[in-house]
Amino acid sequence: MSEFKIHHHISELMTLLGVKSSHPIGPELYAEKLLKCRTPYITTQMSSSNAKWQIAKSTETPIEFSTLYDELKGKNVRDLDPLVFLLSKLHEEEETKQFLATNALEKLEKTGMTSLPHSKVTSQLPAPGTKMTEEELSEIKDILLKQAVVVETPPADFLVKVVREKPLTRNTNIPQQPDWVFKRPYLTLDFVTDSDFPQENVESLKNKSPFYQEHAVLEDLLLCMRGIEGKYILPRPLKETYAVREFLIDQSMDVSVKELVNGILPLCSNYSTVVLFIKEKSAFEYGLVNHALSHAMETLIRDYLVMVAQLEREMKLGNLTLQKLRFYLQPTMRVLEILASVANSINRGKCIGGAVLSLLHEKTASMIGDRKSSELCLYLTQSACVPYMEILEKWIYRGIITDPYSEFLVEENETINKEKLQEDYNDAYWEKHYTVFQERIPVFLEQVADKILNTGKYLNVVRQCGRDVNCPFAEELVYTVKERRYYDQIERAYSYASQLLLTLLMEEKQLLARLKSIKHYFLLDKGDFIVQFMDMTEIEMRQHIDDILPSRLESLLELALRTSTANVDPFKDDLRVELLPFDLTSHLLQIIAIDSKREKDYKKDPTDIRLSGLESFSFDYVVKWPLSLVLSRKALTRYQILFRHLFYCKHVERQLCNVWIGNKQMKLYSPASSRFYTAAFALRQRMLNFVQNFEYYMMFEVIEPNWHTFQQNMAKVTNVDDVLAYHTDFQESCLEECMLTSTELLRIVHKLLVVCITFSNYVQRVSQTTMVESEVERLRDSTLQYTKTNRQRKEEQQKKKTAIKVLAEHVDQVLADENFEQTIQTFDSNFSQYLVKLLDKIMDENTKTYEHKLFNILYRLDFNGFYTEKLAALSAERALKEHSMRAESSSHGLALSGSQPTSFTSQRPETATYVPGQYRDK
Amino acid sequence: MPREIITLQLGQCGNQIGMEFWKQLCAEHGISPEGILEDFATEGLDRKDVFFYQADDEHYIPRSVLLDLEPRVINTIMNSPYANLYNPENVYLSKHGGGAGNNWASGYCQAEKLYDDIFDIIDREADGSDSLEGFVVCHSIAGGTGSGMGSYILERLNDRFPKKLIQTYSVFPNVDEISDVVVQPYNSLLTLKRLTQNADCVVVLDNTALNRIAADRLHIDTPTFAQVNQLVSTVMATSTTTLRYPGYMNNDLIGLIASLIPTPRLHFLMTGYTPLTTDSQVANVRKTTVLDVMRRLLQPKNMMVSTPVQRQGNNHCYISILNIIQGEVDPTQVHKSLQRIRERKLAQFIPWGPASIQVALSRKSPYVQTAHRVSGLMLANHTNISQLFDRILNQYDKLIKRKAFIEQFMKEPIFKDSLEEFDNSRESLQSLIDEYNAATKPDYLTWGIQQAGAL
Repeated sequence: MSEFKIHHHISELMTLLGVKSSHPIGPELYAEKLLKCRTPYITTQMSSSNAKWQIAKSTETPIEFSTLYDELKGKNVRDLDPLVFLLSKLHEEEETKQFLATNALEKLEKTGMTSLPHSKVTSQLPAPGTKMTEEELSEIKDILLKQAVVVETPPADFLVKVVREKPLTRNTNIPQQPDWVFKRPYLTLDFVTDSDFPQENVESLKNKSPFYQEHAVLEDLLLCMRGIEGKYILPRPLKETYAVREFLIDQSMDVSVKELVNGILPLCSNYSTVVLFIKEKSAFEYGLVNHALSHAMETLIRDYLVMVAQLEREMKLGNLTLQKLRFYLQPTMRVLEILASVANSINRGKCIGGAVLSLLHEKTASMIGDRKSSELCLYLTQSACVPYMEILEKWIYRGIITDPYSEFLVEENETINKEKLQEDYNDAYWEKHYTVFQERIPVFLEQVADKILNTGKYLNVVRQCGRDVNCPFAEELVYTVKERRYYDQIERAYSYASQLLLTLLMEEKQLLARLKSIKHYFLLDKGDFIVQFMDMTEIEMRQHIDDILPSRLESLLELALRTSTANVDPFKDDLRVELLPFDLTSHLLQIIAIDSKREKDYKKDPTDIRLSGLESFSFDYVVKWPLSLVLSRKALTRYQILFRHLFYCKHVERQLCNVWIGNKQMKLYSPASSRFYTAAFALRQRMLNFVQNFEYYMMFEVIEPNWHTFQQNMAKVTNVDDVLAYHTDFQESCLEECMLTSTELLRIVHKLLVVCITFSNYVQRVSQTTMVESEVERLRDSTLQYTKTNRQRKEEQQKKKTAIKVLAEHVDQVLADENFEQTIQTFDSNFSQYLVKLLDKIMDENTKTYEHKLFNILYRLDFNGFYTEKLAALSAERALKEHSMRAESSSHGLALSGSQPTSFTSQRPETATYVPGQYRDK
Repeated sequence: MPREIITLQLGQCGNQIGMEFWKQLCAEHGISPEGILEDFATEGLDRKDVFFYQADDEHYIPRSVLLDLEPRVINTIMNSPYANLYNPENVYLSKHGGGAGNNWASGYCQAEKLYDDIFDIIDREADGSDSLEGFVVCHSIAGGTGSGMGSYILERLNDRFPKKLIQTYSVFPNVDEISDVVVQPYNSLLTLKRLTQNADCVVVLDNTALNRIAADRLHIDTPTFAQVNQLVSTVMATSTTTLRYPGYMNNDLIGLIASLIPTPRLHFLMTGYTPLTTDSQVANVRKTTVLDVMRRLLQPKNMMVSTPVQRQGNNHCYISILNIIQGEVDPTQVHKSLQRIRERKLAQFIPWGPASIQVALSRKSPYVQTAHRVSGLMLANHTNISQLFDRILNQYDKLIKRKAFIEQFMKEPIFKDSLEEFDNSRESLQSLIDEYNAATKPDYLTWGIQQAGAL
C-alpha cells in the first residue's frame, strides 16, 4: 500500500469517526506512525487466544462471545483473528476507548437516535452480540455487532478496510440450469423424502427372530447407503438445507441390531450430505473449483456404489452379516466422513473458488499423520486445484485471464483502459486495472499473490504491445502439500515476465533515453535550448493567454529545437507546448489543498484570472504505450510542475539580467550622479543572487543528485514496479526539495519572485524614459556618420560628452521627480521582508523535521553571513514575543516595536558617521 | 539563433592570444585547422555556433575580426596551418603598416582614421548573426595598437551597440622586468579609463602573474610567449565553456557576468586556474576532488593577477566568485565543498550584500585528453585588484611629474591642444580605486551619495 493510500484511508476513517480536521493530531501523524510500524500481522495460536481471553474477560457475557467467535471461526471468516487482536488492543487503550465512546454518542444523537440501554440492543439482535461493558466501546460494539450481521455476505477484513469499496460484482451472465433439473426430484442420488408414494405395509419386526431382523435391516441398510429409503429405516426430511440427515429406526428392533444399525447410519447420512453437495455444487454458479471438487467426490462415490453393489451380492449369497458389514465399511465410513465434513464446511462458509481451496488446504494440512485420510484430502485438493491452476497457468505464462465464474485471485477491471493513462491524473491503470481479491486467494498462494498479479500484469503489457508471449518455463502447476514446487515455478515465471517487460521498456522503448530527453526539456538540462526558446518567444509570452496562437508557439519551439543542441535528441519531436488555464502557484496550492482537505479555500473565481502566456505556459510530451506506464499523466504533470517553476525562475533571472544590461550605461556617469541607482543596483544584485542561487540549488543540489541516485537505482532495477517506484521517488523528492510541496514556503517564494519581476519591470520602464533621449542622440549620430570628417567627429564627441553630462543631470531629475529612491526603498523592504521570512521559515522547518536538504539553500543564500544578523534578530524577537506572551504583561508595544524587518540599505547608526576621503588616503 | 559572440583581436598581443584561443576552441570542438569538422566530432552535443558560423555543412569559420597596424603577427598567423580558418575579409591590416610605435595616442588616432574600414567588418559580422549577445576584445593595455586602437574601438562599440555586452581579455604589463616600452604607464592609464567606462567586463590577465606562474608552478625558467599564451587561451576557453557545452545554468554571457558584477564600474575580474600544466609537462596526478579544486582556486599562487599578498589590516574582499568546474564531478560534492569553505572562512566577502561562490558544473570536451579528472576556473571580482591600478597610477605619477616622453603623445591630434585627457583618465582611475576601496566597507551603498556630498 502506498503512502498516499494509507493517508487517504486514515483521513476517511477520521471523517467516518467524525474527528474534526482541526483536531491537534492530524492524519499526517497517524500515517507516519502507521508507515513506520507496518509489519504484517501473523496469527499465532497464542496471540489469538490471548486476545480472545482479553475480550472475554472484559465482557459481561463471555460465553456468548466465545460461541459467537467459534461460530465465525467455523464459517472460516477471514481476518477474524486480526480483528479480535485489534479489539483486544483497543481494549487496552483507555484514551481511544473514551474518544470512540463520546464520538459514538455524538453521532447517535446526530442521527436522531439515542443510545439504547445495552440490554435492549442485544435483545433486539438476532444473534447474541459480543457484549462489552457499556462504559467501554459502544462504538466498537456497534462495529462488532455489525460484523456479526455482515458475516452473511462474504466479510472483508472489516475495520482495516472500512473505506475500501468492495466491488463484489460477480459475473452475472452465468448460465442458468434448465428447469427440468429442479422439476424432477428423482434425478438425485439422495433420499427423496417428500414422495407421495404410500408406505407399503411393513410387517413389524417385533416378534421376529434376531436373524430375520438382521437380514431385513441389512437390506434396508444397503438401500439407505444408496440413498433409498428402507422399510425399517426411514430418512427424515431435512430441517434446513445443510443439516445432517437423520433417520427413523423401527423401534421394535432388537437392541443389539439397533446398536449395529446406529453404528452404520452415520455413513448413510454422510453419503446423503456428500451426494447433495455434489448435486448442488455442480450448478454453474458455484464455479470451476466446486465443479472439480464435486467431480472428484463423484468418482469416489462411484467407487463407493460399486462397493455397495458388491456387498449386496455378498448379502444375496448370504455371506453378509451386520457385523461383517460393519467391519467392511470401516474404511469407507472414514472416507465419507471426511467428504461430508468438507462438504459441510464449504456449505457453511458458502465457499467458492479460492476459499474452497484454502479450506481443502487446511484440511489436508490438519490430516497429516493419518496417511490414508491425508492422501484422500490431497486427492480432493489436487483435483479441485486443477481448474484453478489452469487459470493461474494461463495468467502467469501468457497473461490472459479466463475466469468465467470470477474465482481467480486477480480480476480485470475493464473500465480502466490504457488510453486513459494519457489523460487521467492518477495511476489507476497500473494500480487498478488488475487487482488482487484478498478473499479469493487460496491460503497456499497468499505469499506469492502479489508476484502472481505482477507476473500477469507484466505479460499483459507485453501482449498489449502486440506481441505474443510464450513463457519458456510453462510447466503444469500441480498442488502439493509441500509448497516448494509451484512456488519455484511461479518465481521463475515471474522473473521471466519482469525481465521480458523490463527489456521491452528499457531496450526496445529506450525508457532511459526518453527520461533523459524529458530531463532536457522539463528540467532545463539543455540550457541553450531554453535560452533560445525564451529569446524567440519573448513577445508571445508577454501576451494574454487568449491572444497567443499555440501554432505559432509550436513552430517557434520547433525552430528552437532544431537550432540548439537539442537537435541531436532523437525524441525531440515528441515535445509539445501547452497553455494551461491556471498559473503554477494556484495550481500547486490547489493540489496541496486536495491533500489536506481544504480544497474549498482555493477555489478561484475563474473570471478574475488574466494569465499571461508565461504564466500559463508549459511543455507537454507525447508518450505512447507502453511508456505511458511510467510516464503517465500524473508523472508528466509532476514534470510540468517542476518545469513551470524552473521556467519562471529562469524568466525572473532573465529580467534581472535585462535590468543589468539596461543599466550598464550608468558607468559613464560619475559616481555622484548615479547615486540614486546605487540602491537599485544593490537590490538588483540581491535579487539576482537569490534567484541564481535558488536555481543553482534546485538544479545542482536537488535535481542533479536525485537524478544521479535515480540512475544508479535504474542500473540495478529488476522489475517494472521498481522502475515506477524509483521514478516516483525521484520526482517526489525533487518536488519536495524544490519547496513545491509546502504551501507556506511556496507562497513566500512566489511572492519573492513577483517582487523581483515588478522591480525589474519598474526599473526597465524608468530607464527607458531616460534612455529615449540618448537614443535620439545616437540615431542622429549614425545617420550622419558616413559623411563626417574627422573634425566633425571630434566636435561631435565633444558634443556627446556634454550630452552625457546633460543626460546624467536629466536622469537625476527624473529619478528625483519620480520618487525613484522611495520606490526602490519599498521594493527593497518588500524583498528583504519576504527573503528573511523565507530563510526563517526554512530554518524553522529544518529544526522541526531534520530535513537537511533545504538547509543547503540557507548556506547558499547566506554564504557570507549577510542575512545572519537579520535572522538572529528575528528569532530573538520571536523569543521575546513568546516570552512577553507568556508573561502576559503589558509589554505588547515593546515586543512589536521593530517587528518589521526593514531594508538593509537603510543606514545603520554606527556607519552614519562616514568621513569622505577617509579611504582615499590609503 | 544562438547568442553569438564576436571576437575582436587587436594588436600584437591580442592576435597572439586570439590565435591560441581559436586553436584551443578548434581542438575542443573537433574542428581541423582548415575549419573542417572532423569525422569523430559529428555528435553535435556542443554549441559551435556561438563562436563559429558555418559556411557550408562542415566548414566552420570563427566569428573573429583580426586587426593590427603592423603585419608581423598577422603574417605569422597567415603562414600557420590555421591560415585558412579565418574569413580573409575579417583580417584587417593597416596599409600604413608601421604600427603604432607603442604609442597609445598613435594607435587611437590611426584607429580613428580607419574607423570606416574597421566598422564595415564589424557591422558585417554583427549583421551576420541572428541574436548577437556581445563582443569579446583581446588586447594588451601596454602597447600601442591594442591599447590605443582598443580604446577607440571600445568607445565606438559602446555607441553603436549600447545593448550588447562588451567583454575584454586585457593583458596587463609585466612589472617585474624592465619593459622596452617606456611609456607603458601612459598607455595603461589611458586604456584603463576606456575599460572602466566602455567595457562591461574586463578579465584581467596580468603578465606579471602569468610569468610567475609559468616560472614557479610550471618550472619553466624563461617562459616563452607561446607558453604564457597557452595559459591565457586555457582561461579564455574555460570561461566560455558553459556557453559552448550547455548545462542547466550560465548558458549566456549575461548570465555569467551579471552576478559577478553588482555595480557597473566594478567589473574587473581576476582569474585563477587549476591544475596548471602546459603540454610539455606531465601532470603530477594529485587527488582532485571538488573541494581540492575549489580550495586551490582560492590560493593566491593560482591567481593570474599579481596583487601583493593580502596584508593584515586591509579588508580587501571578494565581491563575487564564479567557479567553473569541468570534468566528472559528483554534484553532491559541491555543497559539501561550499560548506567547508564557509566554515574555514577561506574566502572573505563583502559586508554590504549577499555574496557567494557560484559553482557552474560544465562538461569537458570529449576530444581533448587531459591528465586531470577535474579542473576548475575561477572568475572573481576582488577589491584587491585596485592595487594593480594603484601601481599603474604610481608609475604614471612618477613619469608625468617629469613630463617624460610626453612629446610623442603631443604629436598626435588628440593631445595637440592639451593634456587634459591624461588628467581625465587619472581622475577616472583614481575614482575607480576609491570605489574599490569603498566596496570593502559596509557602507559602500551610500558611497555615491557621500561622494556627491563631498564634491
